[in-house]
Amino acid sequence: MSTLLNIIRSQWERREQIFTLAMFDLRKQGRGTVLGPVWLFAKPVVYIAVFWFALEIGLRSGSGSSNGAPYLLWLMGGLVPWFYIQTMLGTGCSVLGRFKYLVNKIKFPIAGIPTIFALAEMVIHLGMVLLLLVVYFLFGQPLDAYLLQIPVAIVLMFVFFYMFSFTASLLSAVSKDFKNLITTLSTPLFWLSGIIFNVYDLGIQWLQVILMFNPITFIATLFRYAVYDKMWIWENPMAIIGFAVVFIAMMVAMVVVYKRTYEEVPDVI
Amino acid sequence: MSSNETAPTSEQIAADARQAAVSDEIAIEFDHVTKTYKLYKDDKQRFASIFWGKKKRELVASINANDDLSFRIRKGEAVAFLGSNGAGKSTALKMVTGVAYPTKGTVTVNGHVSALLELTAGFDKSLTGRENIYLRGQALGFTKEQLEELVPKTVEFADLGVYIDQPIRMYSSGMKARLGFGFAVSSDPEILVVDEALAVGDKKFREKCYARVREIMEDEKVTVLFVTHSSSAAEEFCQRGIVLDHGRKLFDGTIEEASAFYEAM
Repeated sequence: MSTLLNIIRSQWERREQIFTLAMFDLRKQGRGTVLGPVWLFAKPVVYIAVFWFALEIGLRSGSGSSNGAPYLLWLMGGLVPWFYIQTMLGTGCSVLGRFKYLVNKIKFPIAGIPTIFALAEMVIHLGMVLLLLVVYFLFGQPLDAYLLQIPVAIVLMFVFFYMFSFTASLLSAVSKDFKNLITTLSTPLFWLSGIIFNVYDLGIQWLQVILMFNPITFIATLFRYAVYDKMWIWENPMAIIGFAVVFIAMMVAMVVVYKRTYEEVPDVI
Repeated sequence: MSSNETAPTSEQIAADARQAAVSDEIAIEFDHVTKTYKLYKDDKQRFASIFWGKKKRELVASINANDDLSFRIRKGEAVAFLGSNGAGKSTALKMVTGVAYPTKGTVTVNGHVSALLELTAGFDKSLTGRENIYLRGQALGFTKEQLEELVPKTVEFADLGVYIDQPIRMYSSGMKARLGFGFAVSSDPEILVVDEALAVGDKKFREKCYARVREIMEDEKVTVLFVTHSSSAAEEFCQRGIVLDHGRKLFDGTIEEASAFYEAM
């Protein structure tokens, strides 16, 4: 418990620096290009367009919801959080290596390093959420209370994948196996987490229960309940239980791994 | 100080001034510090050490880079660490800067540390020189006002002309070193750690560096740690020398005695 408080406190003390460093990291991504920020959004937008074309027009698998929300909103509800999650799974799991100089050249709380990266990515994600909302309102969808689930989803996603990225990057600093494991799992996770198929339509009971323990599915579900299904997450208590279990397990894993490795990491990275 | 009877040279006067600038407050204290690096047999063992206690794993060796090291440095002192490769100098300095943790014992540091450890490391290649100064200052926890003062000072000292607003990847190694040195000496450190960094740049810049370090050292609040293989550089700057070998402290005394001891080793 005190370790957890320590992780939070060390970052809170450096909040301004963490924020500035995050903005620098973001600016850096646009370096060497003329169009700069355009590229940050170009890739996800193209992805969404391609998936929408392939699924709705190509495979004709898309259908609107019973209350008139178009398929595109369902698709974006899954893909928009996925882009953030994908980055946190990919670069996020070796983020200490990316900011090596903060680990072994400068005295800086290592718990704050994943936050820098997560904040920078969050800015891009918020841009995508804005795009989602623009599309949502362009289709004439109503401004209602269900949309409040989006900020909840963003906060949960931020915290959960911070914990994931911190744990994974501590582990991959010690052994590269973790990094390879996560990179290998990234694509399977996309196809298995219900980003582009509907988990709740499967009709296979046991598989549905397992997927309730998948945090990626949970976040996508929250987004979709907000913009497409028009449901509240507590109408699906199993999803909340599953996510809570995984969330707590992740937190425990982070604290244990942090305790075991933080003194060694600057020596081995 | 040494008690030789020759007429006081300008260096000696400066040395006396430095001596007078030492206060009684402790700047750095090492209390029975041991730093152990574990060398695992292979990656598998390192990996396993995360899950099953670190002690049980097979080690090729466990190296004490610092072995039961104890010393105290008062505020305003200038101390040289002498020793050959692998004596544990850099490890000790890393613990002073706070980027490595002691395995046993405690390290106490009072004051803001500015380290000249591997000057060029830690620059972001895609950002400009000016941005890198800003970034590093941020990472070290400077306030906005401090940064506003620090950035132009560093820019002026590094004297890179138009290159200051170019990405670091365009820099030569000498330019990077100048920027790194400029940052370290402009940041008004309370503890300055110099790790053989003065051997950078051309002759003119080196002289500028020496002059600046001397200036910093005359300030009574600044403690300087100087790490070197060469005793002549140490004698120019420091009044106290600590000789290390295999992580142990072999000698601690005036710089003249220390460098004589080191040369005789």
